[in-house]
Amino acid sequence: MAKVEVKVCLGTTCFVMGGNNLQELNDIIPQKYGDKVEVMGSNCLGLCSINWEYSKAPYVKVDDEVVTEATVEKVLEVIDKKLG
Amino acid sequence: MFIDIACSQKKKYNQNAYGDYFASNRFPNMNRVVAVLSDGLGSGIKANILACMTSTMLLKFMENHSDIEQSCEIIMNSLPVCKVRGISYSTFSAIDCFENGKAKIVEEGNPDFIWIRGGEVLKPECQTIQSKDFKNRKMKVYNIKLEKYDRIIFCSDGATQVAMGTKQYPLGLERDGLIKIILHKLEQEPEISSQKLADYLVKQIELIAPNRELKDDTSVVSIYCRDPRESLIFTGPPYHQEKDSYYAKFFMEFKGKKAISGGTTANIISRELNIPVIAKLSMNSGRLPGLSEMKGVDLVTEGILTLTKTLEYLESGKSEENAAKTLMDFLLDSDVIYFLVGAQMNKAHYDPNLPIEIEIRKNIIKQMASVLEEKYLKKVNVQFV
Repeated sequence: MAKVEVKVCLGTTCFVMGGNNLQELNDIIPQKYGDKVEVMGSNCLGLCSINWEYSKAPYVKVDDEVVTEATVEKVLEVIDKKLG
Repeated sequence: MFIDIACSQKKKYNQNAYGDYFASNRFPNMNRVVAVLSDGLGSGIKANILACMTSTMLLKFMENHSDIEQSCEIIMNSLPVCKVRGISYSTFSAIDCFENGKAKIVEEGNPDFIWIRGGEVLKPECQTIQSKDFKNRKMKVYNIKLEKYDRIIFCSDGATQVAMGTKQYPLGLERDGLIKIILHKLEQEPEISSQKLADYLVKQIELIAPNRELKDDTSVVSIYCRDPRESLIFTGPPYHQEKDSYYAKFFMEFKGKKAISGGTTANIISRELNIPVIAKLSMNSGRLPGLSEMKGVDLVTEGILTLTKTLEYLESGKSEENAAKTLMDFLLDSDVIYFLVGAQMNKAHYDPNLPIEIEIRKNIIKQMASVLEEKYLKKVNVQFV
């Protein structure tokens, strides 16, 4: 099975909107899922400027799925769903 | 040729103020550096005032190319007179030099400067000028031509007279002793920076002093003529998107050190040149996003937040270990800094719902450029694209 890829946006907007709290994922994910999930940072994913009027930063991408207003809990929920 | 100038000082043992004073100014547009080291009579606050007045006044006179003889008379007449000794006194060494090598050095009372070229000490000729009002005062004026890799060392007499009266150094370290230490260090580290050399010399002088207690204020000014260390900071996406490719290549072909400050900017260069950029989640520290990595680029940081913090650190001189500190060190490690500033705005940054205010990039860079020029004497070049 292919690894689930989690990309945490570290762009300025995401960072100030709470992305800095998402660095916890770096510790939690390997502990909880081992090799099945890979977590990494990313420069601005560009999502904030596409829909800026409805800005829902911080953004996290779990494979192709965008998690808006991401929190640690929300991201873990999406990963759980993916892994079934 | 770049003139790297730095000063290192130690106070006399048990004093709470420096009795030597160093002042310098760089004029990037004129490729010129002016600097003065002054040693005030006595020590402590009194000496500090005399030295400070002398340095700052002389610096201004030299900057304006005033007649040096007349300037010195004015200074000597302006200094407060010491109640104990009934005289007003402060010695000085001053240099006015250009990046083409032309230099004028004026000394009064301080130990003769040391000029080193290729491991040899040069002996320049000087003109002696006698003060009209003060019989015991003579100035030495040198007009010299510096070459690349030359070094000049100025010091206060605290440096040459250290350990005077001891068995090993009955007359103190003396100029020759200091020269030996300098030449030995230069043999080990021929490219040592001015700051490191000055710090090293003051440290060695302190080690020579009995019980490491300096009997006099000690200052060393080091000048090194060398190639400038150039760096380029690319921040912000270019206004015209079709020029992304051009600026990405321009950036990568730059010969000096390279930094990118901005996630989107890094993404653009990554896309145009097909070099992956890796944002390190684990390197986040506290309130600033961490660093990213990109092959061929020395430093990659987030943009506005990091720049804002870096500016704050540069202004205050205080910093914490984070990406802004890394960027500050990067800047301070350069002599000539080029900013390539993309003028495109990120609309998301102006969302009033953001918890903090985000400054406009142009403004931050403008402020940063002036701090780097005025406070840190860097040559700065800003280009908006």
